Amino acid sequence: MKRIFGSSILSSIAALAAATWLTTATVLAGDNPAPAPPPAAGAPGGPGLAVFAKKIVTGQYQGRAAVDNAVLLVKDGRIEAVAGCDEAAVPEDYEQLDLGPLWLSPGLIELHCHVACSFGRDHSETAYLANPGMRSSTLIVPEFIHLRNAVAGGVTTVLYIPGSATNMGGQGVLLRTGGKTYEEMLIRDPGSLKLAQAGNPERIGPWYSGRSFMNYNTRSVFRRGVNYAKRRKAAAEGKGEPVERDLMFDVFPHLLEGDTQVSTHTQIYQVVLMTLSMVRKEFGLPVYIDHGTFDGFVAAKLASDLDVPAILGPRQISRAYNFPGFSTIDHDGKLFGVAAEYQRRGHQKVGFNTDAVSFMGPGGPSQEELALQAAMGVRYGFRNTQAEAVQGVTIVPAMAAGLDDELGSLEVGKLADMIVTTGDPNDPRCCVEMVFQGGKKIYDTKTDMRRF
Amino acid sequence: MVRISALVPALLAVLPCAAVHADGLAIRARKVLLAELDGRQFLDNAVVLVEDGRIVAVGAADEVVVPDGYELIDAGDQWISPGMIDLHSHVGGPSGDLNGTVYQINPGLRISSAVVPNNMILKRAVAGGVTTVLFIPGSGSNMGGQGILMKTDAESYEAGRVRDPGSLKVAQGDNPTRWGYGMGRQMMNFHLRTTLRKGRAYAQRWKAYEEGRGPKPEREIQRDLFRSLFARETQVSTHTQYYQLVMMSIAMLAGEFGLDTYIDHGSFDSYLTTDQAKPLGVAAILGPREVMWPRPPRYRTDGQAHGTAWGFQKEGHDRIGFNTDAVGLGSFTVAQEELSTQAAMSVRYGLDDSSMEGVRGLTIIPATAAGIADRVGSIEVGKDADLLITTGDPADPRSAVTRVLIGGVIVYDTEHDRRRW
Repeated sequence: MKRIFGSSILSSIAALAAATWLTTATVLAGDNPAPAPPPAAGAPGGPGLAVFAKKIVTGQYQGRAAVDNAVLLVKDGRIEAVAGCDEAAVPEDYEQLDLGPLWLSPGLIELHCHVACSFGRDHSETAYLANPGMRSSTLIVPEFIHLRNAVAGGVTTVLYIPGSATNMGGQGVLLRTGGKTYEEMLIRDPGSLKLAQAGNPERIGPWYSGRSFMNYNTRSVFRRGVNYAKRRKAAAEGKGEPVERDLMFDVFPHLLEGDTQVSTHTQIYQVVLMTLSMVRKEFGLPVYIDHGTFDGFVAAKLASDLDVPAILGPRQISRAYNFPGFSTIDHDGKLFGVAAEYQRRGHQKVGFNTDAVSFMGPGGPSQEELALQAAMGVRYGFRNTQAEAVQGVTIVPAMAAGLDDELGSLEVGKLADMIVTTGDPNDPRCCVEMVFQGGKKIYDTKTDMRRF
Repeated sequence: MVRISALVPALLAVLPCAAVHADGLAIRARKVLLAELDGRQFLDNAVVLVEDGRIVAVGAADEVVVPDGYELIDAGDQWISPGMIDLHSHVGGPSGDLNGTVYQINPGLRISSAVVPNNMILKRAVAGGVTTVLFIPGSGSNMGGQGILMKTDAESYEAGRVRDPGSLKVAQGDNPTRWGYGMGRQMMNFHLRTTLRKGRAYAQRWKAYEEGRGPKPEREIQRDLFRSLFARETQVSTHTQYYQLVMMSIAMLAGEFGLDTYIDHGSFDSYLTTDQAKPLGVAAILGPREVMWPRPPRYRTDGQAHGTAWGFQKEGHDRIGFNTDAVGLGSFTVAQEELSTQAAMSVRYGLDDSSMEGVRGLTIIPATAAGIADRVGSIEVGKDADLLITTGDPADPRSAVTRVLIGGVIVYDTEHDRRRW
């Protein structure tokens, strides 16, 4: 599958930095501008950085879960080596950062975020029944307070997506939580097409659309979109008439090429089944489950066979929802851990999300509590012997969103998005002490205000 | 350190030598969290002896002599801790029937009339290590009524009852404002003070009669509770949060009326009241919000998230506990079985846990606040054997509860029973 990291992230950052410098230099010429501080060790353009930690959780998918007494080398924003202290040779000119008893892990990745913008109601456009042309990238507020909290909670990447008020909310955008401008934040746009299959879109308008209608509505839009994408492709290859650009369907060429995915608000067994059969089988599009709760796990085997990742949350348990429509499982008083049930049925790509929204009610998950979602998965039975819970908030979502070439684990060649914690990053009682994005330190409780 | 070898002959003397049933229970574990109020907090490699539903000894494994006839449970590397206590629970009976809101003030209503022992949610509470709850009315009116302190696993109402009335539920702001035409804080304050003054007068009339100083008063069911309340035999559990409201709770309930009172939410910036709360013995039982996010303009903060427990601790309060406000199924508050998560989140948001503050806030602190520390809340000789065996620190939400004892009886055992999750 082709990835659209577009032009290399780092080169665009570097270009931007250069442009900023040029502008500043021009404006301030004659005013004795203060020289910009040199890039820090590990950051693009700076000297190398060697980070020593008691434990490095790699996040590597089904690989080496962790390295004890380890060192990680970073140069120009990328990871050069991860090894035990006695194995790696640290170049002499590298700056050394000894974390002592602290742990180093990959930055956490959230694929269901609604908090990169201040106005909750703007998440969902509901003038039409399906809105594949809406772009959540138009709403971003850089350094918004929830994003800063996300950083303090170790979340370095988010998929900011429209709400689920209609069957297709629009296009999500993959963002770095730490950037100061939209351009610095941008990882990929479109980050996804947000599909909401049931469980919220029924509320649109004064009428009530049931699952049959929503299914028709969704299939109809997918069909038109995929046809549009095929016509565009044919035209580009000189095999057909030129096709006028249609903003409402412009995301579909990306989907057809596998450059982006369908992130699906889907839960309850029957609804998840429809996600798999319609989006994956009928239209052949890359898709992942982005709730998957209640008894959605009954479809886990099929999802696994179709390579549809299951990014679960914010409910990590299936309680006794035994009333019709909600459950095919007789709970008999038992709680089912949702992640545990996917895992038990052989699903290999189980991740976690928060569905964080601006409104912070007492039970509403907040963006910085992504790690807690994984902890609750473990509490309710998710096997965590090989740091699966950390993988569920790092490499698994990275794979689901097509980011795993660059992000999601501490492996050679990847971007140095890393968090430093007082212990297991999945233990909600642990604190995040430092956060690095692309080798650059963006949060440090020693020098910045500790956010909690 | 308890050394019970001296007691053994005496014990053996009264025990039949060829007892078919075990006479007592000895549980050994790598770590035993005692959670005494002012004493020992934990022992490594220790044994707890249980007989007739109570703890009869606790000490290092090489010091405690296990009497003959005792059944042995070796919990290996697991931990033993006191059963957890939730002072803000709405799941002792069917959900939804928590508020009688015909009147604005309802001190006569008793939640004990709504108890369903062993209901499905209580079974989950047990599986989550919660052994005692204060089941209280909701906050639909200023005074919701009388709560009941009960064990979570009991065959009957009578067997589960720890104390009735367990508390008087007072709700100072927010929810009662939705009553009828709507009430503001001034009206609610007026209501509460008026009712408390009438209640005190009623209690004083009864006291005078009992001491032979006055005529026998007519019994008023709406005011009966005030007799035990003003005798400090029960407490006021107060739905109160925000600095101003908590200040009023303390000043009015504990200060003006001298009642045994504790805060039973205390979220947001309530920790600013610590200097008032502490001298009056008002414990801070916090939840289900464990953190105050900066939300200008309501709270002027510098962008830092303030953990509520962190705030009370920073200000010097030493009676900090946690609650869930659990209601029914699928609610937006915290589920009953997730009480320990409340402590974990407080630690996440800054509470110093180096002296086991997390576990204490789930056990001995709420037991003391509710006046039942003579029976529950710590592993001490003479107390009810309400014990948890967990795979690790009980305040780590990832730890699993593998066995639960209530009153010395194993009521949940993942080896023999079906695991509830």
